[in-house]
Amino acid sequence: MDLVALQGLNFVYISLTLALVALGLAVVFGLLGVMNMAHGEFVMLGAYSVLVVQNAGLPFLAALPLALALCAAVGWLLEFLVIRHLYRRPFDTLLATWGLAILIREIVEASFGRDYKSIDQSLPGTVDMFGVDYPAYRIVLMALIVVFFIGLLVWYSRSNTGARIKAMVSNPALATAVGINTALLARGAFIFGVCMAGLAGVALSPLVRVEPYMGLDYLLSSFFILVVGGLGSLAGLLVGSTVIGGSDAIVSAITSKTGGYMTVLVISILFLWLRPNGIVARD
Amino acid sequence: MKRRTLLRTLAGAAAFAAALTVSATSGLADDPVKVGILIPQSGPAGLFGPSSQNSAELAVAEINGDGGILGRMVEPFYADVGGPPSDAIQAALKLWKGEKVDAFIGMHDSAVRGALVNLFKGQVPYIYTPVYEGGECADGVYVLGETPSQQLEPVIPWLAENKGASKWYLIGNDYNWPRDTNTAAKAYIEASGGTVVGEEYLPFTADNFDSNLAKIKESGADAVLITLVGGASVGFNRAFGSFGLSDDVIRIGTLIEENTLAGIGAENSKNLYSSAGYFANIDTEPAKAFADAYKAKFGDDAPVLNSLGESVYDGLLLLKAIAEKAGSLDVAAMENAAEGVGYSGPRGDATLEQRHTTKDIYLAEANGVDFAVVETFGSVGAGDNCQ
Repeated sequence: MDLVALQGLNFVYISLTLALVALGLAVVFGLLGVMNMAHGEFVMLGAYSVLVVQNAGLPFLAALPLALALCAAVGWLLEFLVIRHLYRRPFDTLLATWGLAILIREIVEASFGRDYKSIDQSLPGTVDMFGVDYPAYRIVLMALIVVFFIGLLVWYSRSNTGARIKAMVSNPALATAVGINTALLARGAFIFGVCMAGLAGVALSPLVRVEPYMGLDYLLSSFFILVVGGLGSLAGLLVGSTVIGGSDAIVSAITSKTGGYMTVLVISILFLWLRPNGIVARD
Repeated sequence: MKRRTLLRTLAGAAAFAAALTVSATSGLADDPVKVGILIPQSGPAGLFGPSSQNSAELAVAEINGDGGILGRMVEPFYADVGGPPSDAIQAALKLWKGEKVDAFIGMHDSAVRGALVNLFKGQVPYIYTPVYEGGECADGVYVLGETPSQQLEPVIPWLAENKGASKWYLIGNDYNWPRDTNTAAKAYIEASGGTVVGEEYLPFTADNFDSNLAKIKESGADAVLITLVGGASVGFNRAFGSFGLSDDVIRIGTLIEENTLAGIGAENSKNLYSSAGYFANIDTEPAKAFADAYKAKFGDDAPVLNSLGESVYDGLLLLKAIAEKAGSLDVAAMENAAEGVGYSGPRGDATLEQRHTTKDIYLAEANGVDFAVVETFGSVGAGDNCQ
C-alpha cells in the first residue's frame, strides 16, 4: 500500500514538474512556431541564478527575480537580434537556436566551470504523506505548480492579452489589420516563454544536477510532451506531460528504467506518425 | 594583399618557423622523449580534462627537473580523446606517425582503449590510467587503474563487518564496467555472508530516479553499490538524500570522485563511501607533497584533484619506471622488464604484476563535500587479468 502511495506521489510529481518545464517551450513553439532548441539552456540559467544567489549568501527566493530578469534580458536580446527575422521559417529557427544554445552553454562554462554545482534545499527533510516519507520541498513545489497553472489558465482565458495572442496565432494578418501589434506581442510571448523555462530551472535546481550541459535533458522531454499533447493549448500541455511522465513512472515502476524510457520513445514516435497534431489538436 | 604576395609571405613564415624548430631541437644534447597524452578535453568526460592535463604538466616538470627519462627530457603532446573511438584513433595516429611520439599515456573510456590497442598492436608503449573493468592483457599495454576486484575485495567485507552491510542493492548505468563490477561484487557479497536484494541497470538518458528509489526502499536493502557515472550518479545520490534514505542505508561507489561528490552536495552525502586508489585528501606524505605541488603550480582555484586526473601523473611515473628498468623505450625491452617494476607516487608504493598495479586501496567516507579516508588496504592486487 505504501508502495502504491509512493509511486502515486512520484507520478504526480513527475507530471507536474514536466508540465512546468515544458510550459516555456509550449508557448514559444506552440504559439510562435519557433522550435527553441535553447529552451533547456534557459532552464540552466534559472538554476545558475540560484547558485549565484546561494554563493552570495542570499535566501533561495531571491533567485526568482534574478532568474526572471536574466532570462528576460537574454530572451529580449535573442528575439531582437535573431528570432524575429526568422518567424515562419521553422527549420531556420531550429538551427539558429541550436547555435544559441551552444553559445549560452559555453558562456556559462567559461564563467562557472564545467564541474557539477550543488544547490541546497531550502526545505530539507521529509514529511509523512499518505503513510510514506516524501521530500518536503517536493510537496510544496507540487502545490505551487498546481496554483500557478490554475492562475495561468484563468488569466489566459479571461484577459485581453490572452485574446490578442489567440487572434495572432489563428490569423496573424487579420490580427494586424484590427490593430493588434503582433510584433510586440510575439516578442512578449517569446520572453514570457524563456522566463518560464528559467522559473522551472529555479524551482528544480535543489533537486537535480546542476552543470552547463543540464539543459539537454529538459529540451528532449519537453519536445516529447508537445508531440503527444499537441500545440497551442494549456490543456494539451497538461495532458502531454501526464502521458509522458506517467507512462515513464508507471512502466519504470513495473519493469525497469529502460522499459520506461522505451515506452516514452514508442509513444512519441506513434504520435508523430499517426496523430501529428497530438491529443488536444488546436481548434 | 595580392594572392601571390600572400602565398610568398606564408611560405616565408613557414620556412622561418621550420628553421626555428630545427635550431631549438638541435640545441639539446639528446632528442626529447615524446609522450602522447590522450585525455578527454570535450564530451561527457571533458570535466576531467583540466585536472588530467595539470597532473600531466606537473609530472613532466618534476621528471624533467630530476633528469628526465633515461637522461632525456620529456616533451608532452596532448590530444583530445573525449569523442568516439574513430576520432580518438585519428588523434592518436597524428601523434604517433606525425609527431613520432615514443609512448602514450591514455585517460579515456574502454571503447577508446579497445580501438587504440588494435591500432598500436604492441608497437608503442601505452599506459592506460583510469579505473576500469579489468581484463586488458595486450602486448605493450600497462594498466594503472583500479579493477573491480581491487576496489571491492577488501572493501565489501569491511563494510559488512563495520557497517552491518548485508542486504545489497546494485545499481549502475547499462554498460560493461558496471556489469563487470557487479559480477565481481556478487562473489564478495556472498563470501561476506550478505545477499543481493536487487540489481538494476539504467540507460544513460535516465534523469529521474524515483522508481529506482522506491524499489530500493521496498527491497529492504541496507547497502547500495553505485556504478552510475557522472551526472547520473549526481542525480541519483541527490534524490537518495532528499528522500531521507541515507539515514538508514549506506552507499558505496567505485567512481564517486571529488567532482561527483561536489555535485551530490553536503546535504545528500551522509553515509556515502567511495573506494579508489587515490583521493585528494589522502593523509600520507607523498600525497600531501603532490597536492601541495599541484596547488603551488596551478593556484588555489585550480580544477579539484581527483582519482582520474591524478592517474595521468602516475602514468608518467610508471612510464619512467618501466623505461629505466628496461634501459630503453623500445617495446620489446619494456615488455621484458615490465613484470615486477615498482614505483612510488601520491598513491603510495605500487608494483606491476600481469600488466596491472598492485597498490594501496583507500576507502573514504564523505564528510560534507570532502572525502575522509577511513581505512587503507595495503598492496591490493588487481586480480587475474591475463587468462
